[in-house]
Amino acid sequence: MFFTLPRMNKIVRVLNILALVLLLINIIVVFFYAPTERTMGNVQRIFYFHVGTAWVGAIAFFVALVAGIFYLRKPQVKWDTLGLSSVEIGLVFLTITTAAGSVWGRPAWNTWWLWSPRLTLITIAWLVYAAYFMLRGAVEDAEKRGRFAAIYVIISFITIIMAYVSIRVLRDIHPVVFGGTADTAQGAAEGLQEFEGGLESMRMGLTLLMSTITFTVIYLAWLFNRMRLQYLKDEVDSLKIRVVTRLQGGGT
Amino acid sequence: MSEQSVSPSLPGAPSFFTAVKAIVWKDLRIEQHTRQTLSLMVMYSLVTVVMFNFALEANLAAARDVANGLLWATILLAGTLGLHRSLALEQDNQAIDAILIAPIDRRVIYVAKVISVTLFTLLLEIILVFMFVVFFNKPFWQPAVLFILALGTIGYVAAGVVITSMAIQTRSREVLLPILLFPIVLPLILPAAIAVAEYMTGQPEMTRVTSTVSLVLAYDLLILAAGFIAYPYVVES
Repeated sequence: MFFTLPRMNKIVRVLNILALVLLLINIIVVFFYAPTERTMGNVQRIFYFHVGTAWVGAIAFFVALVAGIFYLRKPQVKWDTLGLSSVEIGLVFLTITTAAGSVWGRPAWNTWWLWSPRLTLITIAWLVYAAYFMLRGAVEDAEKRGRFAAIYVIISFITIIMAYVSIRVLRDIHPVVFGGTADTAQGAAEGLQEFEGGLESMRMGLTLLMSTITFTVIYLAWLFNRMRLQYLKDEVDSLKIRVVTRLQGGGT
Repeated sequence: MSEQSVSPSLPGAPSFFTAVKAIVWKDLRIEQHTRQTLSLMVMYSLVTVVMFNFALEANLAAARDVANGLLWATILLAGTLGLHRSLALEQDNQAIDAILIAPIDRRVIYVAKVISVTLFTLLLEIILVFMFVVFFNKPFWQPAVLFILALGTIGYVAAGVVITSMAIQTRSREVLLPILLFPIVLPLILPAAIAVAEYMTGQPEMTRVTSTVSLVLAYDLLILAAGFIAYPYVVES
Protein backbone atom coordinates (compact mmCIF):
# COMPACT_ATOMS: atom_id res chain seq x y z
CA MET A 1 0.00 0.00 0.00
CA PHE A 2 0.92 3.62 -0.34
CA PHE A 3 1.58 4.04 3.34
CA THR A 4 4.02 1.18 3.93
CA LEU A 5 7.39 2.17 5.32
CA PRO A 6 9.95 1.19 2.61
CA ARG A 7 7.82 2.86 -0.04
CA MET A 8 7.56 5.89 2.19
CA ASN A 9 11.32 6.13 2.69
CA LYS A 10 11.71 6.64 -1.05
CA ILE A 11 8.96 9.27 -1.28
CA VAL A 12 10.37 11.10 1.70
CA ARG A 13 13.86 11.22 0.23
CA VAL A 14 12.65 12.57 -3.12
CA LEU A 15 10.40 15.16 -1.50
CA ASN A 16 13.12 16.34 0.86
CA ILE A 17 15.50 17.11 -1.97
CA LEU A 18 12.78 18.64 -4.12
CA ALA A 19 11.63 20.88 -1.29
CA LEU A 20 15.14 22.11 -0.55
CA VAL A 21 15.87 22.88 -4.20
CA LEU A 22 12.56 24.66 -4.68
CA LEU A 23 13.07 26.70 -1.52
CA LEU A 24 16.47 27.91 -2.72
CA ILE A 25 15.08 28.80 -6.16
CA ASN A 26 12.10 30.51 -4.55
CA ILE A 27 14.30 32.71 -2.39
CA ILE A 28 16.28 33.76 -5.46
CA VAL A 29 13.07 34.44 -7.40
CA VAL A 30 11.50 36.48 -4.60
CA PHE A 31 14.57 38.66 -4.08
CA PHE A 32 15.96 39.03 -7.59
CA TYR A 33 13.28 38.21 -10.17
CA ALA A 34 10.24 39.88 -8.59
CA PRO A 35 10.10 43.64 -9.20
CA THR A 36 10.24 46.09 -6.31
CA GLU A 37 6.78 47.32 -5.46
CA ARG A 38 6.29 51.03 -6.18
CA THR A 39 4.77 52.37 -2.97
CA MET A 40 5.99 49.92 -0.36
CA GLY A 41 9.34 48.96 -1.74
CA ASN A 42 11.15 45.83 -0.64
CA VAL A 43 8.86 45.22 2.32
CA GLN A 44 6.27 43.93 -0.12
CA ARG A 45 8.43 40.86 -0.78
CA ILE A 46 7.24 39.44 2.54
CA PHE A 47 3.88 39.12 0.81
CA TYR A 48 5.12 36.07 -1.18
CA PHE A 49 5.96 34.20 2.02
CA HIS A 50 2.83 35.41 3.75
CA VAL A 51 0.43 34.24 1.02
CA GLY A 52 2.34 31.04 0.32
CA THR A 53 2.28 29.90 3.93
CA ALA A 54 -1.33 31.03 4.45
CA TRP A 55 -2.33 28.90 1.47
CA VAL A 56 -0.53 25.87 2.90
CA GLY A 57 -2.21 26.45 6.28
CA ALA A 58 -5.64 26.27 4.65
CA ILE A 59 -4.64 23.16 2.66
CA ALA A 60 -3.25 21.46 5.77
CA PHE A 61 -6.44 21.99 7.75
CA PHE A 62 -8.51 20.84 4.80
CA VAL A 63 -6.44 17.65 4.57
CA ALA A 64 -7.02 17.15 8.31
CA LEU A 65 -10.76 17.58 7.74
CA VAL A 66 -10.76 14.95 4.99
CA ALA A 67 -8.67 12.60 7.15
CA GLY A 68 -11.19 13.10 9.96
CA ILE A 69 -14.12 12.20 7.72
CA PHE A 70 -12.33 9.08 6.48
CA TYR A 71 -11.45 8.09 10.04
CA LEU A 72 -15.07 8.26 11.13
CA ARG A 73 -16.14 6.20 8.13
CA LYS A 74 -13.48 3.60 8.77
CA PRO A 75 -11.31 3.93 11.90
CA GLN A 76 -7.82 3.15 10.64
CA VAL A 77 -4.64 4.41 12.26
CA LYS A 78 -3.33 5.90 9.01
CA TRP A 79 -6.15 8.46 8.88
CA ASP A 80 -5.49 9.48 12.46
CA THR A 81 -1.78 9.84 11.72
CA LEU A 82 -2.52 11.89 8.61
CA GLY A 83 -4.87 14.19 10.56
CA LEU A 84 -2.42 14.66 13.42
CA SER A 85 0.52 15.38 11.11
CA SER A 86 -1.47 17.79 9.00
CA VAL A 87 -2.80 19.80 11.93
CA GLU A 88 0.68 20.03 13.41
CA ILE A 89 2.17 21.37 10.18
CA GLY A 90 -0.83 23.61 9.54
CA LEU A 91 -0.35 25.22 12.91
CA VAL A 92 3.33 25.88 12.17
CA PHE A 93 2.47 27.46 8.82
CA LEU A 94 -0.28 29.55 10.39
CA THR A 95 2.28 30.84 12.88
CA ILE A 96 4.69 31.71 10.05
CA THR A 97 1.88 33.51 8.20
CA THR A 98 1.05 35.57 11.25
CA ALA A 99 4.67 36.40 11.97
CA ALA A 100 5.33 37.40 8.35
CA GLY A 101 2.14 39.46 8.29
CA SER A 102 3.15 41.18 11.47
CA VAL A 103 6.54 42.13 10.05
CA TRP A 104 4.77 43.55 6.99
CA GLY A 105 2.17 45.31 9.15
CA ARG A 106 4.76 47.28 11.06
CA PRO A 107 5.80 49.48 8.09
CA ALA A 108 2.45 49.27 6.26
CA TRP A 109 0.02 49.92 9.13
CA ASN A 110 2.57 51.32 11.55
CA THR A 111 1.74 48.62 14.09
CA TRP A 112 2.68 44.98 14.63
CA TRP A 113 -0.83 43.94 15.45
CA LEU A 114 -4.43 45.12 15.02
CA TRP A 115 -7.57 43.53 16.38
CA SER A 116 -9.31 43.71 13.02
CA PRO A 117 -11.81 40.91 12.22
CA ARG A 118 -9.39 39.05 9.99
CA LEU A 119 -6.52 39.06 12.43
CA THR A 120 -8.87 38.18 15.26
CA LEU A 121 -10.31 35.25 13.32
CA ILE A 122 -6.84 33.95 12.47
CA THR A 123 -5.90 34.10 16.14
CA ILE A 124 -9.08 32.19 16.93
CA ALA A 125 -8.24 29.56 14.30
CA TRP A 126 -4.78 29.23 15.84
CA LEU A 127 -6.32 28.67 19.28
CA VAL A 128 -8.81 26.15 17.90
CA TYR A 129 -6.09 24.02 16.35
CA ALA A 130 -3.77 24.39 19.33
CA ALA A 131 -6.58 23.03 21.53
CA TYR A 132 -6.64 19.95 19.27
CA PHE A 133 -3.47 18.76 21.00
CA MET A 134 -5.00 19.39 24.42
CA LEU A 135 -7.91 17.16 23.47
CA ARG A 136 -5.59 14.44 22.20
CA GLY A 137 -3.50 14.62 25.34
CA ALA A 138 -6.54 14.17 27.55
CA VAL A 139 -7.66 10.86 26.03
CA GLU A 140 -5.69 7.72 26.81
CA ASP A 141 -7.50 5.11 24.76
CA ALA A 142 -6.09 5.19 21.21
CA GLU A 143 -9.38 4.37 19.50
CA LYS A 144 -11.26 7.05 21.42
CA ARG A 145 -8.46 9.55 20.88
CA GLY A 146 -8.62 9.05 17.13
CA ARG A 147 -12.41 9.30 17.10
CA PHE A 148 -12.55 12.48 19.20
CA ALA A 149 -9.72 14.07 17.25
CA ALA A 150 -11.56 13.32 13.99
CA ILE A 151 -14.81 14.85 15.27
CA TYR A 152 -12.99 17.88 16.62
CA VAL A 153 -11.08 18.50 13.42
CA ILE A 154 -14.30 18.34 11.39
CA ILE A 155 -16.02 20.86 13.64
CA SER A 156 -13.02 23.17 13.82
CA PHE A 157 -12.90 23.52 10.04
CA ILE A 158 -16.00 25.69 10.43
CA THR A 159 -13.63 28.27 11.96
CA ILE A 160 -11.61 28.31 8.74
CA ILE A 161 -14.77 28.64 6.63
CA MET A 162 -16.02 31.45 8.85
CA ALA A 163 -12.65 33.22 8.70
CA TYR A 164 -12.74 33.01 4.91
CA VAL A 165 -16.32 34.26 4.62
CA SER A 166 -16.27 36.84 7.42
CA ILE A 167 -13.44 38.89 6.01
CA ARG A 168 -15.35 39.24 2.77
CA VAL A 169 -18.42 40.50 4.63
CA LEU A 170 -17.03 42.57 7.48
CA ARG A 171 -15.06 45.77 7.02
CA ASP A 172 -11.36 45.16 7.39
CA ILE A 173 -8.06 46.91 6.86
CA HIS A 174 -6.45 43.70 5.63
CA PRO A 175 -6.19 43.41 1.82
CA VAL A 176 -8.23 40.67 0.16
CA VAL A 177 -6.23 38.93 -2.56
CA PHE A 178 -8.54 36.17 -3.79
CA GLY A 179 -12.21 36.69 -4.56
CA GLY A 180 -12.54 40.14 -3.06
CA THR A 181 -15.71 42.08 -3.77
CA ALA A 182 -15.59 45.53 -5.35
CA ASP A 183 -16.00 46.99 -1.89
CA THR A 184 -12.95 45.29 -0.47
CA ALA A 185 -10.85 45.39 -3.64
CA GLN A 186 -9.44 48.76 -2.69
CA GLY A 187 -7.52 46.96 0.03
CA ALA A 188 -5.96 44.66 -2.53
CA ALA A 189 -4.70 47.65 -4.44
CA GLU A 190 -2.70 48.55 -1.38
CA GLY A 191 -0.66 45.35 -1.45
CA LEU A 192 -0.69 44.50 -5.11
CA GLN A 193 -1.32 47.60 -7.12
CA GLU A 194 0.67 46.29 -10.00
CA PHE A 195 -1.45 43.21 -10.48
CA GLU A 196 -3.56 45.34 -12.82
CA GLY A 197 -1.52 44.50 -15.91
CA GLY A 198 1.81 44.90 -17.62
CA LEU A 199 5.07 42.99 -17.49
CA GLU A 200 5.94 43.85 -13.88
CA SER A 201 2.65 42.57 -12.55
CA MET A 202 3.08 39.37 -14.55
CA ARG A 203 6.44 38.87 -12.84
CA MET A 204 4.80 39.41 -9.47
CA GLY A 205 2.11 36.90 -10.33
CA LEU A 206 4.69 34.32 -11.40
CA THR A 207 6.65 34.83 -8.19
CA LEU A 208 3.50 34.31 -6.17
CA LEU A 209 2.75 31.13 -8.11
CA MET A 210 6.31 29.92 -7.55
CA SER A 211 6.02 30.64 -3.82
CA THR A 212 2.74 28.80 -3.54
CA ILE A 213 4.12 25.73 -5.32
CA THR A 214 7.28 25.79 -3.19
CA PHE A 215 5.41 25.94 0.09
CA THR A 216 3.02 23.23 -1.04
CA VAL A 217 5.97 20.92 -1.79
CA ILE A 218 7.54 21.80 1.57
CA TYR A 219 4.22 20.93 3.19
CA LEU A 220 4.11 17.55 1.43
CA ALA A 221 7.71 16.76 2.35
CA TRP A 222 7.06 17.69 5.93
CA LEU A 223 3.82 15.73 6.02
CA PHE A 224 5.45 12.53 4.80
CA ASN A 225 8.39 12.95 7.18
CA ARG A 226 6.02 13.48 10.06
CA MET A 227 3.86 10.49 9.14
CA ARG A 228 6.90 8.29 8.73
CA LEU A 229 8.08 9.39 12.16
CA GLN A 230 4.71 8.48 13.65
CA TYR A 231 4.82 5.02 12.07
CA LEU A 232 8.30 4.43 13.45
CA LYS A 233 7.09 5.56 16.86
CA ASP A 234 4.10 3.23 16.73
CA GLU A 235 6.33 0.38 15.61
CA VAL A 236 8.75 0.98 18.49
CA ASP A 237 5.81 1.01 20.89
CA SER A 238 4.49 -2.31 19.64
CA LEU A 239 8.01 -3.82 19.74
CA LYS A 240 8.38 -2.66 23.34
CA ILE A 241 5.11 -4.35 24.26
CA ARG A 242 6.27 -7.56 22.58
CA VAL A 243 9.57 -7.51 24.47
CA VAL A 244 7.83 -6.88 27.76
CA THR A 245 5.35 -9.70 27.25
CA ARG A 246 8.15 -12.07 26.29
CA LEU A 247 10.19 -11.12 29.35
CA GLN A 248 7.15 -11.73 31.50
CA GLY A 249 6.95 -15.20 30.04
CA GLY A 250 3.84 -14.48 28.02
CA GLY A 251 5.60 -15.49 24.82
CA THR A 252 4.40 -14.62 21.38
CA MET B 1 -19.95 0.83 13.11
CA SER B 2 -23.08 -0.27 11.35
CA GLU B 3 -25.16 -0.67 14.49
CA GLN B 4 -24.44 2.78 15.82
CA SER B 5 -27.56 4.37 14.43
CA VAL B 6 -30.20 1.92 15.47
CA SER B 7 -32.93 1.93 12.90
CA PRO B 8 -35.95 3.75 14.26
CA SER B 9 -38.15 1.42 12.29
CA LEU B 10 -37.88 -1.27 14.97
CA PRO B 11 -41.30 -2.40 16.15
CA GLY B 12 -42.44 -0.23 19.02
CA ALA B 13 -39.67 2.32 18.49
CA PRO B 14 -40.83 5.92 18.81
CA SER B 15 -40.57 8.29 15.86
CA PHE B 16 -37.73 10.81 15.75
CA PHE B 17 -39.76 13.71 17.06
CA THR B 18 -41.55 11.73 19.74
CA ALA B 19 -38.16 10.64 21.08
CA VAL B 20 -36.79 14.19 20.96
CA LYS B 21 -39.83 15.45 22.79
CA ALA B 22 -39.47 12.77 25.45
CA ILE B 23 -35.83 13.67 26.22
CA VAL B 24 -36.50 17.42 26.22
CA TRP B 25 -39.49 16.83 28.49
CA LYS B 26 -37.35 14.72 30.82
CA ASP B 27 -34.72 17.49 31.06
CA LEU B 28 -37.36 20.12 31.77
CA ARG B 29 -38.96 17.93 34.44
CA ILE B 30 -35.60 17.42 36.16
CA GLU B 31 -35.04 21.16 36.09
CA GLN B 32 -38.55 21.79 37.39
CA HIS B 33 -37.82 19.59 40.40
CA THR B 34 -34.26 20.62 41.19
CA ARG B 35 -34.16 24.21 39.80
CA GLN B 36 -30.39 23.85 39.89
CA THR B 37 -29.17 24.55 36.38
CA LEU B 38 -30.85 27.91 35.89
CA SER B 39 -30.16 29.20 39.40
CA LEU B 40 -26.52 28.18 39.03
CA MET B 41 -26.25 30.00 35.72
CA VAL B 42 -27.93 33.15 37.05
CA MET B 43 -25.79 33.27 40.18
CA TYR B 44 -22.65 32.69 38.17
CA SER B 45 -23.59 35.49 35.77
CA LEU B 46 -24.22 37.87 38.66
CA VAL B 47 -20.82 37.12 40.13
CA THR B 48 -19.19 37.61 36.73
CA VAL B 49 -20.90 40.97 36.14
CA VAL B 50 -19.91 42.23 39.58
CA MET B 51 -16.36 41.03 39.01
CA PHE B 52 -16.09 42.85 35.69
CA ASN B 53 -17.43 45.98 37.30
CA PHE B 54 -14.69 45.66 39.84
CA ALA B 55 -12.16 45.43 37.02
CA LEU B 56 -13.56 48.61 35.52
CA GLU B 57 -13.13 50.30 38.91
CA ALA B 58 -16.81 51.14 38.99
CA ASN B 59 -16.27 53.54 36.11
CA LEU B 60 -19.82 53.73 34.79
CA ALA B 61 -18.94 55.30 31.44
CA ALA B 62 -16.38 52.57 30.71
CA ALA B 63 -18.73 49.86 31.93
CA ARG B 64 -21.51 51.09 29.64
CA ASP B 65 -19.16 51.08 26.66
CA VAL B 66 -18.20 47.48 27.16
CA ALA B 67 -21.67 46.29 28.25
CA ASN B 68 -22.30 44.53 24.94
CA GLY B 69 -19.09 42.52 25.05
CA LEU B 70 -19.65 41.85 28.72
CA LEU B 71 -23.10 40.44 28.00
CA TRP B 72 -21.70 37.97 25.47
CA ALA B 73 -18.78 37.01 27.71
CA THR B 74 -21.18 36.36 30.57
CA ILE B 75 -23.44 34.22 28.36
CA LEU B 76 -20.44 32.19 27.20
CA LEU B 77 -19.17 31.61 30.72
CA ALA B 78 -22.54 30.81 32.25
CA GLY B 79 -23.46 28.71 29.20
CA THR B 80 -20.69 26.22 29.94
CA LEU B 81 -22.30 25.58 33.31
CA GLY B 82 -25.63 24.77 31.70
CA LEU B 83 -23.99 22.56 29.09
CA HIS B 84 -21.87 20.75 31.59
CA ARG B 85 -24.69 20.14 34.04
CA SER B 86 -27.12 18.95 31.42
CA LEU B 87 -24.66 16.46 29.94
CA ALA B 88 -22.78 15.40 33.06
CA LEU B 89 -26.13 14.61 34.63
CA GLU B 90 -26.48 11.78 32.12
CA GLN B 91 -23.00 10.46 32.92
CA ASP B 92 -23.82 10.23 36.64
CA ASN B 93 -25.52 6.96 37.52
CA GLN B 94 -24.88 5.82 33.92
CA ALA B 95 -28.17 7.40 32.84
CA ILE B 96 -26.64 7.87 29.40
CA ASP B 97 -26.39 4.09 28.98
CA ALA B 98 -30.14 3.75 29.39
CA ILE B 99 -30.68 6.34 26.67
CA LEU B 100 -28.14 4.65 24.42
CA ILE B 101 -29.84 1.26 24.82
CA ALA B 102 -33.22 2.73 23.90
CA PRO B 103 -34.23 1.89 20.32
CA ILE B 104 -33.77 5.45 19.11
CA ASP B 105 -31.50 7.14 16.62
CA ARG B 106 -28.54 8.67 18.48
CA ARG B 107 -28.99 11.94 16.70
CA VAL B 108 -32.19 12.23 18.69
CA ILE B 109 -30.05 12.77 21.79
CA TYR B 110 -28.17 15.56 20.04
CA VAL B 111 -31.28 17.39 18.88
CA ALA B 112 -32.96 16.99 22.26
CA LYS B 113 -29.94 18.21 24.21
CA VAL B 114 -29.51 21.21 21.90
CA ILE B 115 -33.16 22.12 22.43
CA SER B 116 -33.18 21.75 26.20
CA VAL B 117 -29.89 23.56 26.83
CA THR B 118 -30.92 26.31 24.40
CA LEU B 119 -34.13 26.76 26.39
CA PHE B 120 -32.18 27.11 29.65
CA THR B 121 -29.72 29.55 28.10
CA LEU B 122 -32.54 31.62 26.56
CA LEU B 123 -34.19 31.90 29.96
CA LEU B 124 -30.87 33.02 31.41
CA GLU B 125 -30.48 35.59 28.63
CA ILE B 126 -33.88 37.12 29.32
CA ILE B 127 -32.87 37.57 32.95
CA LEU B 128 -29.42 38.86 31.92
CA VAL B 129 -30.80 41.36 29.41
CA PHE B 130 -33.13 42.68 32.08
CA MET B 131 -30.20 42.99 34.50
CA PHE B 132 -28.04 44.74 31.91
CA VAL B 133 -30.75 47.27 31.14
CA VAL B 134 -30.95 48.06 34.83
CA PHE B 135 -27.21 48.08 35.54
CA PHE B 136 -25.84 49.68 32.40
CA ASN B 137 -28.81 51.65 31.10
CA LYS B 138 -28.34 50.38 27.55
CA PRO B 139 -31.23 49.54 25.19
CA PHE B 140 -30.79 45.75 25.24
CA TRP B 141 -34.52 45.11 25.61
CA GLN B 142 -35.40 45.15 21.90
CA PRO B 143 -36.95 42.38 19.81
CA ALA B 144 -34.05 42.58 17.33
CA VAL B 145 -31.40 42.22 20.04
CA LEU B 146 -33.24 39.31 21.62
CA PHE B 147 -33.52 37.69 18.20
CA ILE B 148 -29.76 38.00 17.59
CA LEU B 149 -29.10 36.62 21.08
CA ALA B 150 -31.34 33.65 20.32
CA LEU B 151 -29.58 32.96 17.02
CA GLY B 152 -26.20 33.18 18.71
CA THR B 153 -27.36 30.85 21.47
CA ILE B 154 -28.48 28.14 19.04
CA GLY B 155 -25.05 28.03 17.39
CA TYR B 156 -23.25 28.18 20.72
CA VAL B 157 -25.25 25.33 22.22
CA ALA B 158 -25.07 23.29 19.00
CA ALA B 159 -21.26 23.41 19.20
CA GLY B 160 -21.34 23.10 22.98
CA VAL B 161 -23.27 19.84 23.11
CA VAL B 162 -20.72 18.06 20.89
CA ILE B 163 -17.67 19.52 22.64
CA THR B 164 -19.05 19.00 26.15
CA SER B 165 -20.03 15.40 25.42
CA MET B 166 -16.44 14.77 24.35
CA ALA B 167 -14.82 16.77 27.15
CA ILE B 168 -16.64 14.93 29.95
CA GLN B 169 -15.41 11.62 28.54
CA THR B 170 -11.75 12.68 28.79
CA ARG B 171 -9.33 12.54 31.67
CA SER B 172 -9.40 16.27 32.39
CA ARG B 173 -13.21 16.38 32.11
CA GLU B 174 -14.74 19.84 32.49
CA VAL B 175 -11.35 21.60 32.74
CA LEU B 176 -10.96 21.03 29.03
CA LEU B 177 -14.38 22.44 28.14
CA PRO B 178 -13.68 26.20 27.96
CA ILE B 179 -10.37 25.67 26.15
CA LEU B 180 -12.07 23.61 23.46
CA LEU B 181 -15.39 25.39 23.28
CA PHE B 182 -14.64 29.13 23.42
CA PRO B 183 -12.30 29.31 20.40
CA ILE B 184 -14.73 27.20 18.35
CA VAL B 185 -17.66 29.54 19.02
CA LEU B 186 -15.79 32.84 18.78
CA PRO B 187 -16.31 33.12 14.99
CA LEU B 188 -20.02 33.07 15.84
CA ILE B 189 -19.87 35.49 18.77
CA LEU B 190 -17.78 38.03 16.85
CA PRO B 191 -20.41 38.89 14.18
CA ALA B 192 -23.26 38.47 16.68
CA ALA B 193 -21.66 41.00 19.03
CA ILE B 194 -21.08 43.41 16.15
CA ALA B 195 -24.77 43.11 15.21
CA VAL B 196 -25.92 43.83 18.77
CA ALA B 197 -23.47 46.74 18.99
CA GLU B 198 -25.24 48.31 15.99
CA TYR B 199 -28.47 48.39 17.99
CA MET B 200 -26.73 49.99 20.97
CA THR B 201 -26.09 53.13 18.95
CA GLY B 202 -29.80 53.75 18.50
CA GLN B 203 -29.52 53.97 14.73
CA PRO B 204 -28.52 50.56 13.42
CA GLU B 205 -26.94 50.49 9.99
CA MET B 206 -29.08 47.85 8.30
CA THR B 207 -26.51 46.62 5.75
CA ARG B 208 -24.09 45.88 8.57
CA VAL B 209 -26.80 44.15 10.60
CA THR B 210 -27.91 41.91 7.74
CA SER B 211 -24.35 40.95 6.79
CA THR B 212 -23.38 40.03 10.36
CA VAL B 213 -26.66 38.23 11.08
CA SER B 214 -26.24 36.20 7.90
CA LEU B 215 -22.78 35.16 9.17
CA VAL B 216 -24.40 34.05 12.43
CA LEU B 217 -27.01 32.09 10.49
CA ALA B 218 -24.37 30.48 8.31
CA TYR B 219 -22.45 29.36 11.40
CA ASP B 220 -25.64 28.00 12.98
CA LEU B 221 -26.46 25.91 9.94
CA LEU B 222 -22.90 24.60 9.54
CA ILE B 223 -22.50 23.62 13.16
CA LEU B 224 -25.96 22.06 13.41
CA ALA B 225 -25.27 19.96 10.33
CA ALA B 226 -21.81 18.92 11.56
CA GLY B 227 -23.07 18.16 15.05
CA PHE B 228 -26.06 16.22 13.77
CA ILE B 229 -23.86 14.02 11.61
CA ALA B 230 -20.95 13.62 14.06
CA TYR B 231 -22.85 13.16 17.33
CA PRO B 232 -23.45 9.39 17.01
CA TYR B 233 -19.65 8.96 17.00
CA VAL B 234 -19.29 11.05 20.16
CA VAL B 235 -21.44 8.78 22.31
CA GLU B 236 -20.36 5.50 20.72
CA SER B 237 -19.42 3.08 23.47
